[in-house]
Amino acid sequence: MTRRHPSGGHRVAVTGIGLKSPAGNDLEAAYTAVLKGGSTAATVPRLIEADLPVHFACLVPEFDLDAYLTRRESRQIDRTTRLLLCAATDAVEDAVLPAGLTPERVGVQIGTGIGGLPSMEEVTLSHAARPRDMPVHTVPRTMANSPATRLAMRYGFRGPCTTYASACASGTTAVGEAARKIRYGDLDAALAGGTDSAVTTVVMGAFARMRAMSVRNADPERASRPFDTDRDGFVMAEGAAVLVLERWDLALARGARIYGEVAGFADNCDASHIVAPTEDGATAGRCMRQALADAGLSTADIGHINAHGTSTVLNDRAEARAIERCFHGQSPPVTAVKGVTGHLIGGSGALEAALALLCAARGSVPPIANLRASPEADLVDLVVGAPRSIARAAVLSNSFGFGGQNACLVLVPEDGGGPQSPGAAPHPRTPQQR
Amino acid sequence: MPTREELSLLVRTVISDVLGTEAEEVREQTSLEVDYGIDSLELMEVGARLERSLRLRIEVEDLTAAQTVGQAIDLLQARTAGRS
Repeated sequence: MTRRHPSGGHRVAVTGIGLKSPAGNDLEAAYTAVLKGGSTAATVPRLIEADLPVHFACLVPEFDLDAYLTRRESRQIDRTTRLLLCAATDAVEDAVLPAGLTPERVGVQIGTGIGGLPSMEEVTLSHAARPRDMPVHTVPRTMANSPATRLAMRYGFRGPCTTYASACASGTTAVGEAARKIRYGDLDAALAGGTDSAVTTVVMGAFARMRAMSVRNADPERASRPFDTDRDGFVMAEGAAVLVLERWDLALARGARIYGEVAGFADNCDASHIVAPTEDGATAGRCMRQALADAGLSTADIGHINAHGTSTVLNDRAEARAIERCFHGQSPPVTAVKGVTGHLIGGSGALEAALALLCAARGSVPPIANLRASPEADLVDLVVGAPRSIARAAVLSNSFGFGGQNACLVLVPEDGGGPQSPGAAPHPRTPQQR
Repeated sequence: MPTREELSLLVRTVISDVLGTEAEEVREQTSLEVDYGIDSLELMEVGARLERSLRLRIEVEDLTAAQTVGQAIDLLQARTAGRS
């Protein structure tokens, strides 16, 4: 028997995960990397050649694109879409999705912070002076919904295909909205995730003009240091992550391996400043509370928090205050994997949801890379130096975007009886028991 | 004016680049529609590239009228000859 979600709707299972990220091109590799806590940032020569003030970024390790895409497909799409299609292919394979799905009942829900801007930048630089020679595929390559719709085309999924743009929260928004569609019966399954590839001259230059990015050019590996006293901005990354979400009862019925549940989601907006978060963290804190309430959980049920933790003073300070507010000073262990992965913009929320769920399932919270001492240490319980062992429990994953966009997910690991879950119940417990 | 052989190599190279294949794979008897399911945007890209290389106005209809690559080459040869 399958119990319902506290909302009365369907529960939502995570049954597949695929990623192409600086921390690794599959979940186990990325998990190992974040637990190690070493940054993946490195000097990127083309950024120096372009005379940018920032010389480094976190790039996706090279992999065999031809194993995923034909040359014909590949030349019609940009890197943002390529990374998404590759991550999604891995996720679908990981989920072992059955062939008999009703295509109308499967959706594609994707977040992207800047969408096709990098490829529009490229065509602008190459063709602005001779617009008549532009590639015929310029519009389909650069339009914001290109990654999501290419993904729908690849599998013939004809349910709702939506592209979410909530800046750095886009991937989290997409996963949350996909879960809602399944919960309320609009979909049986969804590919949900995020993608961006923003390591370009104009995009990097633009972020650098706001002094949002670290300029620790002499020591890139020390640049991304969420919550650390010596942080000086975020580190740009690229990548994509996709989760296969399914209605819990259908996933159980087909005998799918279940990583866990997307149990809660909430989003709201500071409506205050176009880039700076509200300093007191009140609205972000409310977003966290609403996500917990949506999952039918209390603060005591949360085993750890995956912070947005960008390594900018403004984000980290406001986020620490928001957590302190939401958890009434009783902070669970807090990690921030951007110290390792850098900031994938639209890709981050989905990547971090996947990693947070795995960490929650294995009871291991990654240390925050490069964190020595933090002015926020009195507000939140930051994980420093080595992984922290915790009991298997729900995890809160935060994403906050420019524009004051806040989005929070609550993920609950499946009690599958893994090696670190002695006494794990054979069946999911009710929310009251968690 | 290019010889038919030169024209053939150019056309097959452009097509193979757009379709992500090799020039040798594209033969005179190849049908882009039947063999590759070419779509209208790809066909327009082929036309645009040939226009640039041959400095010749090419209508999409010119290319869709041809059943095979060989027929398209014949048609282009007639057009380039007509111009000189």
